[in-house]
Amino acid sequence: MNGIMLVDAYYVYWREMKRLSRQKTRIVMSVIQPVVWLVLMGNMMTGLTNNPFAARMIGADSYLDFMTPGIMIMSALFGSVFGGVSIIWDRQTGFLNKMLAAPISRTAIPLGKMAGIASQAALQVIVIGIIALLLGVEFATGPAGFLLALVIIILFSFGVSGISLSLATILKTHESLFAVMNFVTLPMMFASNAIFPKAAMPSWLELIATYNPLSHAVTPIRTLIVQGWVWDRIINGLVVMALFALVMIIVSSRQFKRSVG
Amino acid sequence: MPPIVEVNGLTKRFPGGITAVNNITFQVHEGEIFGFLGPNGAGKSTTIMMLTTLLRPTSGRAHIAGFDIIKQPNQVRSVIGYVSQDLAVDDNLTGRENLRLQAGFYHLPAREARARIAELLDLVGLNERADFRVETYSGGMRKRLDIAAGLLHRPRLLFLDEPTLGLDIQTRREIWRYVTGLQQSFGMTIFLTTHYLEEADVLCDHIAIIDQGVIKTIDTPGHLKAQFGGDIVTLRFAPGTSQEQEALALESIARLDVVSNIQKTGDEVMIITPDGDRTVPVVFETIQPLDVSVQSVTVKRPSLDDVYVAVTGRHLRDEVIDAEASRRARIRMRRVKS
Ligand SMILES: Nc1ncnc2c1ncn2[C@@H]1O[C@H](COP(=O)(O)OP(=O)(O)OP(=O)(O)O)[C@@H](O)[C@H]1O
Ligand SMILES: [Mg+2]
Repeated sequence: MNGIMLVDAYYVYWREMKRLSRQKTRIVMSVIQPVVWLVLMGNMMTGLTNNPFAARMIGADSYLDFMTPGIMIMSALFGSVFGGVSIIWDRQTGFLNKMLAAPISRTAIPLGKMAGIASQAALQVIVIGIIALLLGVEFATGPAGFLLALVIIILFSFGVSGISLSLATILKTHESLFAVMNFVTLPMMFASNAIFPKAAMPSWLELIATYNPLSHAVTPIRTLIVQGWVWDRIINGLVVMALFALVMIIVSSRQFKRSVG
Repeated sequence: MPPIVEVNGLTKRFPGGITAVNNITFQVHEGEIFGFLGPNGAGKSTTIMMLTTLLRPTSGRAHIAGFDIIKQPNQVRSVIGYVSQDLAVDDNLTGRENLRLQAGFYHLPAREARARIAELLDLVGLNERADFRVETYSGGMRKRLDIAAGLLHRPRLLFLDEPTLGLDIQTRREIWRYVTGLQQSFGMTIFLTTHYLEEADVLCDHIAIIDQGVIKTIDTPGHLKAQFGGDIVTLRFAPGTSQEQEALALESIARLDVVSNIQKTGDEVMIITPDGDRTVPVVFETIQPLDVSVQSVTVKRPSLDDVYVAVTGRHLRDEVIDAEASRRARIRMRRVKS
């Protein structure tokens, strides 16, 4: 990493953010979608937490408290898994070659794109946080915990978009990337503690959910909301997410360099 | 001064077995306009992509401004500008934003960038639309923006791949006026490919004709045409000229020193000569005593098209249509997907 590379990555990032700010429908949808999830799921499932047995499994007094981190991660997941599409798109329009003909660091391209996707995820989570607050979900830790949750989301988004970008350098068409990522997303979602508590899962699923990176992102955020600064439940997820992001940054920039080399 | 582009035995074989560029060697000198001419699939874009470090050669070497394209790609990149045949501008950004991005990629200081962007937008006539999204631009406007982006960092060497394909004549002229103006004020070297022979003829100092990955010939447009054997004078005798009179006239014309070849097709006589303008009066003096009258005479310089046909066995006019069709197909594909 050097200064020039960060400057280059900044310009790639700048472009991603400009492009995003022009896509009105996408912005509106990315707000509406989590709202619908929160309101719908929250209402549907309140019955659950009235049942003391279920409430114990969930580990929270209100299903919304339990659900909010799940929705946050789910939005970040959906926003990031198709991150690779933008590279495929740039390849097809010739814009990628235009960037590559300039004396910019090769690593800057995937890095700038990942940063763009992560910022988008962070913005979405801020919106979700505000809506959840209006629905009565408060962080037990206060606002500082929300900031830490944002950090976790950003790391998670870097990791997932890194997977997507790496795949995009191999698959080279939207269709195949969509197919693969769609195939991965929902199972990843349901085989985690994002929507259902692990305690309610059969043991084989519980095993998968334990190692699913998604669970490692959900657990610390859920702890911050429901319990507060319980560091031994937070630190593990934070470290796993930091490693996930770091590894995927390295893998995707290597993949990218190789594919344009 | 060493050549700014020095290519030695450059070859590109794609996986699957297509040899797009086959052992080409040539040089481009600083300050000149160098044209690459060839049918669809000849290997023009592949050559440019190797020289712009976007594609790794299978074998051979090339240096740009003394830098090795394989070992010193970043140095090469800072010397060159590249305008691809793909119209690679970002539709979601405004024209000005596209240029600001480009300035960022070439590490221009912000103040300098602002000034140059304003100057270039003016130059390519996009000032009024600079803050509209590129989505709303016409094809010609996009191309002008793309070219402006290629000029922004004032490269010593500018690669233009089919810069005017699909544009109307007026826009083509304007673009060439901008580009040659800049070329003269900054002493820039231009490496271009085009399907329009007239353009190559007027603009280029040297032309390489490439076909199936092989360079068939490189020379100045003048020499290329001279090689073909000179001008063509076409003569038509007045009706009522007798067979004997005509035969006699032809015989005396053929004996002239200035005439290198004579051929009769139908009622037209084709005279090949190094200098058509001077030959016409001489021919008239020769046939005047023979009492034959001439109905019409035309002098035609051999076009680059004649040279092109001789070298590749194809007419470039058809190529323009092909290339146009493939360009439209490309753009259509993009629109459908977006
Ligand atoms: N990525 C690729 N993989 C395989 N073959 C390729 C690839 N790119 C180009 N080719 C082939 O290499 C040959 C030369 O292509 P190139 O694009 O250089 O031609 P060109 O002279 O620029 O043609 P045009 O006038 O149509 O732009 C063609 O036969 C083309 O099909
Ligand atoms: Mg081409």
